[in-house]
Amino acid sequence: MKLIDADKLTDLAAALARAGYRVVAPIDDSGVVRLKEWAEGAAIRTDAVPVNSAKDFLFPPSEIIGRWDLDGDDFTPRDVQPDAPKTVLLAVRPCDAAALTLLDTVFNWDYKDEFYNARRQAATVVPMVCTAADEQCFCTSVGGAPDATAGADAMLRPADGGTTLILEPLTDKGNVLLDAAGPALAEGDAVADPPVEIPRRFDVEAVTEWLSRNFESDLWPAISLACLGCGACAYACPTCHCFDIQDEATRRESVRLKNWDSCGFGLFTLHAGGHNPRPDQAARWRNRVMHKFSYIPERFKLLGCTGCGRCARVCGAGMSMSEVCRLIADETKKAPTHES
Amino acid sequence: MSPDPDQAQAVQQPGGNLYTPITMTIADSRDETYDVRTLRLEFPGEAERAAFFEKYRVGMFGLYGVPGAGESAFCIASPPTQDQYIECTFRKAGRVTAALRDREVGQTITFRGPYGNFFPIEEWKGKNIVFIAGGIALPPIRAVIWNILDRRDEFGDVTIVYGARTVADLVYKHELQQWQKRDDVKLILTVDPGGETDDWKGEIGFVPAVLEKAAPSAENAVAVVCGPPVMIKFTLPPLKQLSFPDADAYTTLENRMKCGVGKCGRCNVGSLYVCKDGPVFTIEQLKNLPQGDL
Amino acid sequence: MDVDRLRQDAAALLADGRARMVIGFRDRAGDRVPAFITDAEQAGELVYDEACRQNLAAYLKKAELARFRPVAIVARPAVMRSLVLLAAEAQVADADVLVLGVSDDDEYHGILDLAATAALLNEKYAEMPHDPDLVKRIEEISAMTPEERSTFWTEQFARCTRCYACRAACPMCYCTQCIVEKNVPQWISTAAAGHGNYAWNIIRAFHLAGRCTECGACEAACPQGIPLMLLNVVLARDVEEEFGIKVGYDAEAEPVIGSWSPDDGEDFIR
Repeated sequence: MKLIDADKLTDLAAALARAGYRVVAPIDDSGVVRLKEWAEGAAIRTDAVPVNSAKDFLFPPSEIIGRWDLDGDDFTPRDVQPDAPKTVLLAVRPCDAAALTLLDTVFNWDYKDEFYNARRQAATVVPMVCTAADEQCFCTSVGGAPDATAGADAMLRPADGGTTLILEPLTDKGNVLLDAAGPALAEGDAVADPPVEIPRRFDVEAVTEWLSRNFESDLWPAISLACLGCGACAYACPTCHCFDIQDEATRRESVRLKNWDSCGFGLFTLHAGGHNPRPDQAARWRNRVMHKFSYIPERFKLLGCTGCGRCARVCGAGMSMSEVCRLIADETKKAPTHES
Repeated sequence: MSPDPDQAQAVQQPGGNLYTPITMTIADSRDETYDVRTLRLEFPGEAERAAFFEKYRVGMFGLYGVPGAGESAFCIASPPTQDQYIECTFRKAGRVTAALRDREVGQTITFRGPYGNFFPIEEWKGKNIVFIAGGIALPPIRAVIWNILDRRDEFGDVTIVYGARTVADLVYKHELQQWQKRDDVKLILTVDPGGETDDWKGEIGFVPAVLEKAAPSAENAVAVVCGPPVMIKFTLPPLKQLSFPDADAYTTLENRMKCGVGKCGRCNVGSLYVCKDGPVFTIEQLKNLPQGDL
Repeated sequence: MDVDRLRQDAAALLADGRARMVIGFRDRAGDRVPAFITDAEQAGELVYDEACRQNLAAYLKKAELARFRPVAIVARPAVMRSLVLLAAEAQVADADVLVLGVSDDDEYHGILDLAATAALLNEKYAEMPHDPDLVKRIEEISAMTPEERSTFWTEQFARCTRCYACRAACPMCYCTQCIVEKNVPQWISTAAAGHGNYAWNIIRAFHLAGRCTECGACEAACPQGIPLMLLNVVLARDVEEEFGIKVGYDAEAEPVIGSWSPDDGEDFIR
């Protein structure tokens, strides 16, 4: 098997960078762990879930999808190509890789989004198995695991008590990556450390089942009181993919942008005529939970959440998807009352 | 009524991407009311025109735009039987519609489409059709009306109940006159109480009440309803009273839309995306949607 | 801090109807998250310590909570200032707000109405010294050349994803349609990039000039760790120097930027 010392991950990054990969890894950014483009000298940290998710590099916060030259009232379209450098998503979390299954589906389910696809095809995904987790992690509650390989081209497995990393290829892209890593990897044997045990926090099937019957429920206003309607959770979430299309222009040029958006914002569903189907945070939270645990499963047979816990970590107002699901699951354990 | 999976790629520029629109020329422009305009748009070339009409069925929508201002989703207000152009009708409501209104005949706008599902008019052959529309919601219905009238022999009786707040708010006034004159169409026009002019000869009353009074037969008939949410809500009881089964009554929804292709996550009502599973729905489907998301 | 007294007071307020809701903090596995208590029996879950950084006055802008008035809010001095300022800006009626006063040095001030809150602020918290690290950083940045400053801020704002958590966390950001949500014209680019990020962050700071009570909730809420307090504190200090006013101490005060006096420093309007 191919090995590298656990504290030599930057050597692997350097080798891959020399081989032409843009290396994206969890970097120490003034004390915060952030997935960023690695550059020589940057410290790679794998001791905490990064504040952002791998989705940033396949579906960026803002990208140009159309361009025109303007001349008075006339306009001439210009070509737009996706910006998709060869990239390795190195030492990302398995929950981020698992999220790619949903993003792949949404961006391709009959119309194909070449912006996403170009970046996806150019990306080699190398998650690292989690041997530690925090209170917010709940991958095991949503069909995931700290050593899940969904979406992965290769896996980094901590081994020999955390001193070594095994790099195991899983796909052709993974094999290509291993070759590119060259002498940064040693040949040898090691025993993979067990992944962290994460207790199941709630019964997700019970949640999905409850959601199918409870569009109207007092639970929605009750659980959404703390939410102040920003986009922090949606932006940090590896599966959230809502976007806005917006034009910007100077007198000579206009661009059409695809920008991140969030169903938590008040104006997200506001109609031109003034009607807003989701006029309060309770309705918007209901949509958020339904989308992830009811509508996406119904349509795509996947969950819309991989349990990474970022939403709870970033929320400045104390909301947590895991807590909401626990509350819903608790509802289902109560004695059955009359159906509404 | 799901879109044909082979319709995976709408009309695009050569080498373009999913979001690349084509450039349409404004061939004609007509003010329907003081803030509602209809544009007649011509395709940039025969290839684009033919590709569009191969996919277009009545009920589908498009995204009309002006570079620098943005895009806005409205129905395609003309039928596939009028295959040299498309028309759109919109009210000036915000930034994009204001920019569209500033465009003149001979100038260009961008267009993406056709998207969404469509009215299953092939299943309506031989049936009587009852159209019920209110105000600015006539455009999508008007496309269906013309589709039926252009193939008149294939369908049974055509009844149209259309109303607006005031006479000035009625759209397609010259077409209303044409339909009034035809003896193979029964047109009932109405304005809200207080909206009539001195020489108004039509009904006075809200659309649902006028529908109830007109009492079209549900025998071998389908109903096509479009209007603001409140009008639809109040039209359902008379439809039910007239024995129109929910599965034979159709409507078209409009939600705030951006991508039009099921990706931006904005237009869903419950688990259905208006841009993919709609915009055309049966009343039966509408009733099964979570009403709190409408 | 005598949290038991806080809990008892909260319970009493709810039991006798002086408040329809108490907004405070509860513990969730070590985190401090908001608690919305409508029943005296729930008061036992209230906690308070220096980890409670949210400005709970922000919840006064939530329409869903408007029916729960009078509302009692657990407030440290900077949050008390927010409440007084919201009353001065006519966003809340004096009679609709009660304060359960807490402080960062472990003192519990009991139940206060808005007038008593303002009195307490003037008596005990007229001077609220800043964190020395913050002061030092402000001095460092002020000493930079414009180019160095531009580099510094470009780097900071590059991380902004336009999630608007800063706006959501701020009690003074209560506009029903924020400037960044207006598109006729589009004053500020909505793309999370260069010029738009600069514009958003600086314009928000300017819209808070003379209105920021320096509670730090925006910086605490920012998922990207952008040092927003550097901007807000500098502007607050400038307002203090130019207009001689510290906001949030007088519920009758006219808004600093929204009022004019012949004695104002600028002479281009006379």
